[in-house]
Amino acid sequence: MNPEFEERIGVTRRQFFGKSATGIGVAALASLLQSEGIASPTPGMLAPHFAPKAKRVVVLWQGGAPSHVDLFDHKPGLMEKNGQQVPDAILSKARLSTMTAAYKNHPVLPPIRPFKQYGKNGTYLSSLLPHIGGISDDICLIKSMHTDAVNHAPGVTFFLTGSQVPGRPSFGAWATYGLGSMTNDLPSFVVMTSTDVGRTCGQLFFDYYWGSGFLPSKYQGVRFRGEGEPVLYLKNPEGMSPELRRQMLDDIAELNRRRLADYGDPEIETRITQYEMAYKMQTSVPDLLEIDKEPQHILEMYGPDVHRKGSYARNCLLARRLLERGTRFVQLMHSGWDQHSNLDTQLELQCRDTDQPSAALVADLKQRGLLDDTIVLWCSEFGRTVFVQGDIKNPAGHGRDHLGSCYSIWAAGGGFKGGYVHGETDDYCYNVARDPVHTHDMQATLLNQLGIDHTRMTYRYQGRDFRLTDVYGKVVREIIW
Amino acid sequence: MKPGWKVQLVISGAVIPLCALLVASHISLASTQAKRVEFNSEILPILKAHCYECHAGEKNAGGLRLDNRASAFKGGAGGPSLVAGNPAKSPLLDRIMGLGGKPRMPIGFAPLTDAQTVLIKTWIAQGADWPDASRAKKHWAYINPVKPAIPTVRNAAWIRNPIDSFVLSRIEKAGLKPAPEADRTTLIRRLTLDLIGLPPTVAEVQEFLADRSPNAYEKVVDRLLANPHFGEKMALPWLDAARYADSNGFQQDGDTFQYVWRDWVVKAYNDNMPFDQFTIEQLAGDLLPNATLDQKIASGFNRCHLLNGEGGAIAEEQRNVILFDRVEVTSTNWMGVTMMCSQCHDHKYDPFTMKDYYSLMAFFNNVPESGVPPGGGQYRIADPWIEASSDSEKATLKELDSKFSDLDKTVKEMDKDPAKNPMGKDPAPELKAARDRRQSAQRDRDNYKNNLPRVMVMSDAQPRKTYILQRGNYLAPGLEVTSTTPAYLPAEPADFPKNRLGLAKWFVSRENPLTARVHANRIWQIFFGLGLVKSAENFGVQCELPTNPELLDWLAVQFREGSKASKNLSETAPWDMKALIRLIVTSATYRQSSKVTAQLWERDPENRLLARAPRFRMPSLILRDIALSTSGLLNDKIGGKPVYPYQPIDIWEGLAITKERDFTYPQSKGADLYRRSLYTFWRRTVAPGNMFDASVRNTCKVRTSSTSTPLHALTTLNDITWVEASRNLAQHVIKEHAGSAPGMIAKAFQIVCARQPEKTETLALTRIFNRATAEFSANQKSAEAFLKIGDSVRDASIPVAEHAALTAACLAIYNLDEAMTRE
Repeated sequence: MNPEFEERIGVTRRQFFGKSATGIGVAALASLLQSEGIASPTPGMLAPHFAPKAKRVVVLWQGGAPSHVDLFDHKPGLMEKNGQQVPDAILSKARLSTMTAAYKNHPVLPPIRPFKQYGKNGTYLSSLLPHIGGISDDICLIKSMHTDAVNHAPGVTFFLTGSQVPGRPSFGAWATYGLGSMTNDLPSFVVMTSTDVGRTCGQLFFDYYWGSGFLPSKYQGVRFRGEGEPVLYLKNPEGMSPELRRQMLDDIAELNRRRLADYGDPEIETRITQYEMAYKMQTSVPDLLEIDKEPQHILEMYGPDVHRKGSYARNCLLARRLLERGTRFVQLMHSGWDQHSNLDTQLELQCRDTDQPSAALVADLKQRGLLDDTIVLWCSEFGRTVFVQGDIKNPAGHGRDHLGSCYSIWAAGGGFKGGYVHGETDDYCYNVARDPVHTHDMQATLLNQLGIDHTRMTYRYQGRDFRLTDVYGKVVREIIW
Repeated sequence: MKPGWKVQLVISGAVIPLCALLVASHISLASTQAKRVEFNSEILPILKAHCYECHAGEKNAGGLRLDNRASAFKGGAGGPSLVAGNPAKSPLLDRIMGLGGKPRMPIGFAPLTDAQTVLIKTWIAQGADWPDASRAKKHWAYINPVKPAIPTVRNAAWIRNPIDSFVLSRIEKAGLKPAPEADRTTLIRRLTLDLIGLPPTVAEVQEFLADRSPNAYEKVVDRLLANPHFGEKMALPWLDAARYADSNGFQQDGDTFQYVWRDWVVKAYNDNMPFDQFTIEQLAGDLLPNATLDQKIASGFNRCHLLNGEGGAIAEEQRNVILFDRVEVTSTNWMGVTMMCSQCHDHKYDPFTMKDYYSLMAFFNNVPESGVPPGGGQYRIADPWIEASSDSEKATLKELDSKFSDLDKTVKEMDKDPAKNPMGKDPAPELKAARDRRQSAQRDRDNYKNNLPRVMVMSDAQPRKTYILQRGNYLAPGLEVTSTTPAYLPAEPADFPKNRLGLAKWFVSRENPLTARVHANRIWQIFFGLGLVKSAENFGVQCELPTNPELLDWLAVQFREGSKASKNLSETAPWDMKALIRLIVTSATYRQSSKVTAQLWERDPENRLLARAPRFRMPSLILRDIALSTSGLLNDKIGGKPVYPYQPIDIWEGLAITKERDFTYPQSKGADLYRRSLYTFWRRTVAPGNMFDASVRNTCKVRTSSTSTPLHALTTLNDITWVEASRNLAQHVIKEHAGSAPGMIAKAFQIVCARQPEKTETLALTRIFNRATAEFSANQKSAEAFLKIGDSVRDASIPVAEHAALTAACLAIYNLDEAMTRE
């Protein structure tokens, strides 16, 4: 795919709409075609390369990096190694952040809470994750993830854009660019953020985590905010009634149409359409946010936090509402896992706030028949060290540092193998021992499930064909059906 | 576009465009089979991209090398791979198509596209001509331009300057005619928006309409080129290219004082600094003999990069990220090629090697910097930096300093006086008060001092060795390299210093084939929306070919060397930016109407032939400026500290997690709310919410993006900025042009769009006014709430319902396509 190709499609579309301008209205025409099932609201720049397994994605971003040692990577042998040094042979392979790179001592801190077996397949997970345990037969747990980054912003940027340096298109931008939108009333790519209640985690969310890079800016994620207006500038100005606005838009459209007749520039037609879509969003977004309309048993699935604006639980429920209304890509960004010095208290609190809603989203999509073609991805930038950061004797002040050489994530739906555990790590949850999955491999696999060959979805910029996976990545066949 | 394309596209329309395109691409390929396939431009790039990973240089999987003619024909272990003229007997073709029961090449990578396969097949069938490297035609952009002869045209009367001869020659070749000249009102609005980024005032329009002198147009051009807002308008694309922002980015996102550099740019454009000097000072101002403060500030260009102050950031890794960024920004900006590929391997298309990349990086590797900014506080300024206070700031500091010293002296004297400072007892009330005054004077002085600009600049004070980094990994240094310009391009003269100053001089030397073309193209792009080379960021082998190469070369040489006076051309100095711009905007090409017929649109949708003027929406930064200036709110002060205009109240809310400082958005008050968008504080992590489609200023961006989305519509319909401007515009016409509603509405329309509206247009806008009047009269509270939007004070003598209703009509005017567009 190159921009020239894209422009040709754009021209086609414009020519088509342009010709219809004197007759049937553009928006009306589009929805007519849509209802007849022969045109999507806005076609992607790419036909799927092969039959897709999934058409929607929800990313549950666990910012700050949860400890795989405590939550997913069950190593009973660690208990007896409590306080013993991690061998140099194990340590030497991984790069560390400057916070612990100069440490001389690396005493093992075993998981701080017990593990338990869950589901028919008996997957071991932390006892702090009973709800995810409850859906363990639906999730594909990957214990052999590894990444190039050891610090947060580069790590998040790497996972979500394929490069550690900001400026490349995000995964969601690539997906909506490639596949187009499925709704006219809501954005195709929506981002929502939440932070831990005590704001103990210093991780911030930058808009390049959902940026469009060198793709046209319309592919960037639209942030729905927890507080204030959900979408910037969504509300009419104070004092202006919806009726007055409606009439105003009609008159603007009439004047724009006159200009179109005079100047012949199809961009004017596009503007008319976009103003109409803006009006639709003004009703569809508030409607989306009215979660009180959900039945009680659904609200209860997501837990009591669902009633708190801006909470992770509420965002999970909103994600489901978005996905069922045609949004293609939802990115929930939660910050709270950067437990360098407060593992003992925060690990449990983060699990409490994210475990139930994450599991509820999977179960809710499943009961609506949406899970089959929706990828739910629970992931983070990296994992944490098995050795303690701080004084091992002081649980109130110690934790774990960043670790990029191995960590765990999980995916459900969209053709990912439920009830399957992939990969093995060494005895210290420190290096991948079997079946490594690099960040680019995961990106390739996710695109594959969307019907996209990651080597063929390219965009020419600065004379180079860019990909989400740079020049790397291979589809991990073992984790998909 | 070939006729085959068009038929396919139109018939299938939007319904199944992709299928149509695939079919069309086959057809067009089939029809090009007769055309001679050119090895260097068509085949070699395919081989480089898909085969050289395993079949080039020392890598010769299966004994096969495809990087030279002899080896390719000799083939590998399995015998010859190519038989000239006989595709069926060429195993290479079978392997890339996956025939013959062997794995399809390239193994492990996506197969070649059908188009590429057809191309290779055709090339073999045509005799597999593989010219020696020495005979290979050099890519056009690497050949130094010479001024081509000015073509003759049939319609010589249309020509205003040499640009027109090149453009018209092309138009005539296509059997078309140029568009008629745009009407005068459109012209003055276009010129004013293009040159100063503001619309003309009603008086300026009238003056131009009334001026019947033959050089009336040129007078306007000269007036605008001398206007100090010219530098602001020109600075905008340059700031995008320089990834300028007011903060470091990343987790701590500390504020910086780089605005001093931004002011340098505005002033340089206004002073018409020659482009060679503009280049030298920004790349190496610090290395000039007896460098002035301004020249050192100019070198801040290469310090507008991101800085990662995250807790665990590895300084050396970050320092290398910064070095990569400097190479990228410099090569994109001056050479119009990206060197990024050569960070990990020799460039696949362009003649740049890894050695070239790291030799270029060596120029930037002597900066006394750690790679990470220091911690703490609001400002995080990484070494090296200089103090750059203005004279008035220095004077204020001196004042505050002496105020503190005076108070300090007073306190010290009183301290010694036992009457006021008795031993073992509380000091006298007057001493206490004096101490408090001293403390607050000290705080005032320290606060003021902390906010005085410290500009990050370049310096070569820490020479380092530079190595080729394997796969771009700073932990894997290879061979040592020294500062050298890319080997393929003409070498820098021996007397140039071997440092950034030499590099800068080399960019603007007459032997450099790229710089003048790249910049003539970038300036062209400002006025025509698209460059003559559409890929303004890439002039390399993979670029979009120039639509009018002779015009590009003529402009480049004209720009680089200036000219003596001749027919249609006045005398100009080398690298004269205003002269180049003047030439462009006084051409007949520029003065055409932007109206387009359906036939012409179909023929040339992108306007590459320039048989009409382009029509494009102004950038959002300028849209805001338009609203401010037409409503009378604009504070047109030039330069200075960034300001904080309206943003949704919790825009920086997400950043508040960083407890080290207060991240509440410090919204400006009064006149600072209405500065031009150029001066809006640009936080890298959260760009201003209402500046849509803008570069996010993290990486170098030399092409603007203009899209149209519902979110943009919501911004200009609902943001305080536009509602408040509407209220002030309404107030202005009510106070200054009191009369009938249609009359006032027509006036407001004229202020925004420069032309008088037609009756039907006034009628439609009056309909909004009438409905709004009815609604606001019935609901006074709504009207009052609507009029309360924005900090500016409303003239309370205007009846509420009327004012609110006219505000609604003005808001509609600002949201017209025409109001946002330069036509």
